[in-house]
Amino acid sequence: MSAAVPVSDLRQARDETGEVIAVEELGGGLVELTAHLPWLAAHAIAGQFAQLRCGPGPVPLLRRPFSVAWVEGQRCSFVFERVGVGTRLLAAMRPGDMLQSLGPLGTGFTLRRGVRSVVCVAGGLGCAPFPLLAAQAAMCETPRVVVLHGAATAARLYPADRFVRGLDAVEVREATDDGTRGHHGLVVDLLTRELLDGAGAMYACGPNPMLAATVRALAGTGAPPVCEVSLEAPMGCGFGTCLGCALPVVRGEEHRWALCCREGPVMAADDVDWDALRALPPAHVA
Amino acid sequence: MSAADLRVDLGRGCALPNPVGVASGTFGYGFEFEQLVDIQQLGAIYTKGTTPLPREGNPPPRVAETAGGMLNSIGLQNPGVEHVARDYAPRFAQWRVPVIVNVAAATVEEYVHCLRVLDSAGGIAGYELNISCPNIAHGLDFGLDPVAAGRVVAAARAATERCLVVKLSPNVTDVGAVARAVEDAGADAVSAVNTFVGMKVHLGIRGPVLPGRGTGGLSGPAIKPLALAAVARVRAAVRIPVVGVGGIASVGDALEFFVAGADAVQIGTANFADPGVAPRVAAELADAAERLHLSRLTELRWQPAPTPA
Repeated sequence: MSAAVPVSDLRQARDETGEVIAVEELGGGLVELTAHLPWLAAHAIAGQFAQLRCGPGPVPLLRRPFSVAWVEGQRCSFVFERVGVGTRLLAAMRPGDMLQSLGPLGTGFTLRRGVRSVVCVAGGLGCAPFPLLAAQAAMCETPRVVVLHGAATAARLYPADRFVRGLDAVEVREATDDGTRGHHGLVVDLLTRELLDGAGAMYACGPNPMLAATVRALAGTGAPPVCEVSLEAPMGCGFGTCLGCALPVVRGEEHRWALCCREGPVMAADDVDWDALRALPPAHVA
Repeated sequence: MSAADLRVDLGRGCALPNPVGVASGTFGYGFEFEQLVDIQQLGAIYTKGTTPLPREGNPPPRVAETAGGMLNSIGLQNPGVEHVARDYAPRFAQWRVPVIVNVAAATVEEYVHCLRVLDSAGGIAGYELNISCPNIAHGLDFGLDPVAAGRVVAAARAATERCLVVKLSPNVTDVGAVARAVEDAGADAVSAVNTFVGMKVHLGIRGPVLPGRGTGGLSGPAIKPLALAAVARVRAAVRIPVVGVGGIASVGDALEFFVAGADAVQIGTANFADPGVAPRVAAELADAAERLHLSRLTELRWQPAPTPA
């Protein structure tokens, strides 16, 4: 691995156990879980994740990775859907239950001071890192944060006011596959030249095919100086030891596997080997 | 009474301060865990499988969870033996915890080459020969046959004075026969067992989740009863130390392996879900020995009744 590749700093991660404060149903199957996790709250950068233990037993055996969606004081929130045994157990937690978290892990989005605007592209559950990103961008005095959010249907859109959280700088534009709210079509359709002109960064998170479409849409437009995507891969440990979460990356002529949990999940769009990524089975298959 | 003596001698000067090691492939070379937990409390680190040349590993998906278990097909991603000897071994030398380098290769000559390269470096307490990786072509060949296993171990024995632990494959008819063959060929200890060949099928794609042949190595609590049976079988077959491995996630699990016949243990997949588990089990094992009034953990060993001929 060349020294130029940014790798997450594991010394920032800590295993901590904290009380669940709230488990909220947001409609459309989206769940937001908030827990008292002071270490994670103090150290997480938008785009980083925590490995959450979903239950006491051997099923599920491994922890599950979740983006840190929001931080308030010593509390952290995570957004997910019930897609398997782990997320069903998390959704069944009640205030007062104890949640174990290892984090923050992985790379976060690169935030810069002095930019006029940033654009976030969120597909489905790819909404998860953007409430925190919007707040951290605002802390970097970015005057305009535009969140483009798409989902299959209106009920499955993450509530726009939870991206905004009272910040004047944040503006949300929505798209649905079925046209039940906002633009009838794909979220990537909302990525207009007007938004990209002068933007300091474009950040995207969602299913890998949606990220590929987003990056394709940037080709030919004046892409912002920072273009980053948050990728997904079936993950074992989350801290670079099981070597399970390989993703294809390319730099010049050098093609290789990079670990989603250490060199990602946030990577520069240029570093991803999109052709090789497209050839892989979708992450949910594992 | 005085505290139990938890030290383990695997042979040829490979003295472990306590019996709780971490299994190859679940701890890298220790550098990630070094940043997360106190690795100096461990009895040994058995490194990621190290091959003659660097390996990029298999295409993803490489891991898949099953009920109480995990399938992996990593494909021995590692930086190669030269890199380990030159860059990693000096870092191992700074640690109190003994490091046992796991070596994997495709031919007898390659095993010998790896050991010679590593022998030139300090900081290495011994070797664990991986003669049973299920995830690379030909990787199982030696471990499946007592004669072939004996041949590679004999060559390795002639190549190094350091301790040789041989990791046994469970994917055989009689793991005891392979254990006896490697003991006869000069192994100082055996570890039992490596992962079981398994498959996870996804109905949506009407095929296996893992690519290639579709199989991977199954580990985790799901294999603990199978591993205990293998340890008991190996214990009955050899006199050298047996390192028990397979599904250990707690001090209770570790104690069960001592009952089955182990002299030391390795914690594997549990490290992924709970990075602090191995140092914690090492500490709890000392407490358990005191509570059970043991002077040595091997006093727990089950003595099977002689089976009728």
